[in-house]
Amino acid sequence: METKVKTKAMQEFSEAAKTLVNPAVQDWRKQGGKVVGCFCSYVPEEIITAAGFLPFRMRATGSAGTELADAYLSSINCSFTRHCFNMGLRGEYGFVEGVIWPSTCDHVRRTYDNWKRKVETPFVHIMSLPKKTEEPQVGWYRDEMVNLKKALEKHFGVKITDERLWEAIRLHNETRRLQRQLYELRKKRNPPITGAEALAVMVAGTAMPKERYNQLLKELLDEISQLEGNADYRARLMIVGGILDDPAYIEVIESQGGLVVTDMTCFGTKIMWNDVAEGAGDPLTALARYYIADRPSCPRMFGDYSRRADFVREMVREFKVDGIIGERLIFCDLWTVEHYMLDKDLKAEGVPYLKLDREYLLGGIGQLRTRVQAFLETMRR
Amino acid sequence: MTEKELQRKRLEKFIQERDMLHAMVQAFTQSPTAEEQLYAGLTKVYVDHHNEIIRCVEEGKPFIASYFACAPEIYSAMDLPWYTFLTPAFTGAISEPTLSAEIDGSEKLFGKDLCTILRIAGYYIEEDVAPIPTAIIGLLHPCDGTTVLHQIIASNENWSKVPQFAADPPYWEDERSIDYYVGELKRMVAFLEEHTGYRLDMDRLREVIEVSNKEYELWMEYNELRRAVPCPHGYGVGMQAFGVVEGFLVGDPRGIDWLKILVADAEKLVQEKRGKVPNERIRLFWFDVVSLGWSFDLFPWLEQEWGAVIVMDMFGYTPYTLIDTSSEVTMFRGLAKRALFDVPMVRQARGVADNFLADIRRVVKDYKINCVVWPGHMGHKDGSANIGMMRETCREIGVPFLHIGLDLFDKRYTAIDEIKDKFSQFFTAMGLG
Repeated sequence: METKVKTKAMQEFSEAAKTLVNPAVQDWRKQGGKVVGCFCSYVPEEIITAAGFLPFRMRATGSAGTELADAYLSSINCSFTRHCFNMGLRGEYGFVEGVIWPSTCDHVRRTYDNWKRKVETPFVHIMSLPKKTEEPQVGWYRDEMVNLKKALEKHFGVKITDERLWEAIRLHNETRRLQRQLYELRKKRNPPITGAEALAVMVAGTAMPKERYNQLLKELLDEISQLEGNADYRARLMIVGGILDDPAYIEVIESQGGLVVTDMTCFGTKIMWNDVAEGAGDPLTALARYYIADRPSCPRMFGDYSRRADFVREMVREFKVDGIIGERLIFCDLWTVEHYMLDKDLKAEGVPYLKLDREYLLGGIGQLRTRVQAFLETMRR
Repeated sequence: MTEKELQRKRLEKFIQERDMLHAMVQAFTQSPTAEEQLYAGLTKVYVDHHNEIIRCVEEGKPFIASYFACAPEIYSAMDLPWYTFLTPAFTGAISEPTLSAEIDGSEKLFGKDLCTILRIAGYYIEEDVAPIPTAIIGLLHPCDGTTVLHQIIASNENWSKVPQFAADPPYWEDERSIDYYVGELKRMVAFLEEHTGYRLDMDRLREVIEVSNKEYELWMEYNELRRAVPCPHGYGVGMQAFGVVEGFLVGDPRGIDWLKILVADAEKLVQEKRGKVPNERIRLFWFDVVSLGWSFDLFPWLEQEWGAVIVMDMFGYTPYTLIDTSSEVTMFRGLAKRALFDVPMVRQARGVADNFLADIRRVVKDYKINCVVWPGHMGHKDGSANIGMMRETCREIGVPFLHIGLDLFDKRYTAIDEIKDKFSQFFTAMGLG
């Protein structure tokens, strides 16, 4: 699937997606700005922004191995965490002043334990993330946010006021709105952007100052809304899964003729399909409600599967999806069962579903191509 | 299939398990060893428990599915029969070909890297071979696998109609966490009352907790005796004690009777300076479940070949916390604390890694441990991410550490000869035995 988008904005986004410390982060730091890493999309980034820092989604882009991490983690721990931790041990995360983890999953939460002992990051913090999405859990996570806010204030000597929080919420909501506009264009019969390009745009959104990102994204939207769009594809696909931050993976899929038009992933619709409710009241409660109850949840959230499945169905309908590719990092228990259930339910409704296991670093390209090709053929595409 | 046939199908495995346990009672009763006589009494209780669940199914009476880690004192106080669908995977080890076939079946559904015991439980649900309860109290910690098992249940066609509640576990160990979990337990009680028709009476809860407190006291007394050199009992007994105190004899006076016999037997052996292994040379901390499957070959081999006794294991060890029964508030706070901080495996694995490491330091010191073994069960993703920290902790306190990498339930994952070889090389290299 050849990219047609050659704008400066797209170039910056692609650069940010394939480089860990992209130029925007470098500029930010040169101006004295601080960067705080977020190990999962459940970290309330708005609080970091309100503190005056740049929230940066942790990735292991550019990692070549896990030889250092393997002395601490085991071969049954997911490759995303092993690569991230390896980069931490190698000093490649020296550009962050802090890292925040939620207790998301077994692999992520233990990365916190290992990181705090072995990597010299000035500020490390873990949040107790609930496993349900009901009202008591919104209250619990609000209290966790209060604790995070206090910890940031104490460590960095800053004041995070409600006013600053509301400003941050509005800024991040603007990002979400613009990203949804991008996805709206992907609903077209001939989307003007490939799935790989869209993922690059979304990953970049987690790796640069929001003001700059929003400006660039507006430019990109202006540019591509005029484009003819991609007509040369065999099937419209949706990607469902967890941490997928590598556009090259989508490129391989799209090289077989599938066009990825939407997703439910940790760098995709999950982080932008809803907004934090703006307005009067307590901003931390608004944030807690958004992260726990409102937006599409992670498979770790018990009792919320039917809402997630309905979200997938909504995406299938709105984006006219022909088939779903469910990707999973090997050893992820959460996605093992989520894909099992989605596969069963959606196939029964006539939606083709392909389950793919992968490692964090792109590999087995030949095999991936073959599986996707076969999938498209079973759809008679 | 008629409703009756369906009921029979769902009970078949459970009845098989009951019959297997019954056969074990017969075998233990005829054994000359005091240890196996102890097992006989306990196994008989499990048989009775199975019969109770079977009766509930056949007579349409309420019963629930749950776990040891969800304040089972409450079920006992409500006189509400309960069972756990994880135990067939434990006891299934007695018939390895059957268990292997089920493991393979589960792999077809869920792949092979989800914890075997959870996979098998999911398999039983999907194959509709587990008795469907009136309600389910699910478990959402300590690991990802337990959460997703309950998602499988909630989305299964037959089981989705069964009301399910799971208390949300906080990550911390502070007063705020206890308060939060008390709220969850109260919601659990309301849920049980609504869906089973049984009521929780505070006086009855007080009685159950007072018996349970006594059981914990006796368990701790027993564990004190295991500090002796040589260790009076071997592998497996600790798990049995856990099963009594936190399983089907929670708050049951029969549990006190059994534990008293256990303590008396251990006391006698300690006074006579008699250990499980005549020539005890190595004192192991097996930092995981003492699974039934490995109890037939690996653990006896350790004892016979190396004089290595599993002095303490993950499930045999628990801190001792009395619950204050003076009021409803203190009882619920005590139950919350117990469920979060005292229950084996949950207490170590649920929060920060310090919980794991603190156990190593404590157990090594208290039980004069020569080496710590992390079996590295394939389902313990969080524990296996502690390997480096565990190794460093052991180095600090001067005790060797071995990580194996096996499946506690599927012996094909790592062959026993390979495991024995690892142990032998390790012991030799460390100058043990």
